[in-house]
Amino acid sequence: MDELELLKKDWKKQGDSFQKLSYNEIYKMIHKKSSSIVKWIFIICIAEFLFWGFANLLIPDSFFEIYEKLHLKTILQTTQVLHYIVVVIFIYLFYKNYNAICVIDSTSLLMKKIIKTRKTVNYYVYYNIIVTAILSIVVNIIMFSDEALLNEVLNPENKIIDHDKFFNIMLISQVVALIVMIGLLWLYYKLIYGILLRKLNKNYKELESLEI
Amino acid sequence: MTKELEHKFISEFQENQNIIHKVCRIYTNNQEAHNDLFQEITIQLWKAYPKFRGESKLSTWMYRIGLNTAITLYRKSKRSIKTQDFDSVLHRIKSTDYDDTEEEQLKLMYKAIHQLSDIDKALIFLYLEDKNYKEISATIGISEVNARVKMNRIKTRLRTILNP
Repeated sequence: MDELELLKKDWKKQGDSFQKLSYNEIYKMIHKKSSSIVKWIFIICIAEFLFWGFANLLIPDSFFEIYEKLHLKTILQTTQVLHYIVVVIFIYLFYKNYNAICVIDSTSLLMKKIIKTRKTVNYYVYYNIIVTAILSIVVNIIMFSDEALLNEVLNPENKIIDHDKFFNIMLISQVVALIVMIGLLWLYYKLIYGILLRKLNKNYKELESLEI
Repeated sequence: MTKELEHKFISEFQENQNIIHKVCRIYTNNQEAHNDLFQEITIQLWKAYPKFRGESKLSTWMYRIGLNTAITLYRKSKRSIKTQDFDSVLHRIKSTDYDDTEEEQLKLMYKAIHQLSDIDKALIFLYLEDKNYKEISATIGISEVNARVKMNRIKTRLRTILNP
């Protein structure tokens, strides 16, 4: 291809055409902050660990009273201990994968490692969502299977209410809350992946498709 | 990090900075974007420098970090406002073997390269730098055979862009 050869010839001549940076300019440059995606992924991952770690603390005390009435307190305490063990394992894995990221690896290996690090945190988030879902399903099953108990927990003052209506409102509000939560999570991940990882995923797929 | 290390890095980098300018040349098409990418690569090089033991040549080490930053790590900063595209070869107009049609061809060539994917740009870059397929495959992390196949596809693609 003639043009490519022409370009190659020109390419070698171009050395002097660049604006050479002075010692001081380089000095200033290396003291500036990086804006690499690895740094952003790190910040976002830490924020996610903290968010899900502290999410427990945001649950109001009254909620735990309900658990007590439902005789679920021991289960809850056990799952919490297990939960913290799992969190520690996740943080360790994240740290290990993050540390393995190395800029002098080959392009495809570097991408693989970044994606692996990000995936660790994704699994952590999935884990949290699944645990939350299982807990709320268990609580719901126990509550709804015992009408007297349900009444005692949610209507302690024993107000006169229409039972069917009450059930419907309970169900609808739970479904709405669930949809809103899923919507927010979906939006969050769309944003993260859209802004930060689109380019990386696209390039990685291109390399992967080549190796098949 | 010690002052001596910093001094050593800046001196070595200053001498070899053309490598990074060339990477920026392939991946950006205006001065502002060029400077922005240049800066990010320089930061990445400096961050990796304490671990550089000289097992590979400094230039090879710079190629890797330069390309990895351009392809994977770099995020366009908000600063980069769209400015006038480079008039790629205009700054060499004075050269003696100046040829009007050649210049036009080169300009089109750079334009075509800027339309390639990030990975394709890396292959073209290494090709222009006279790297053999062994080195290309090691830098990108694909097999040598695939590097050849990909290179041929890129040449075909460039041909189609240039002669639609």
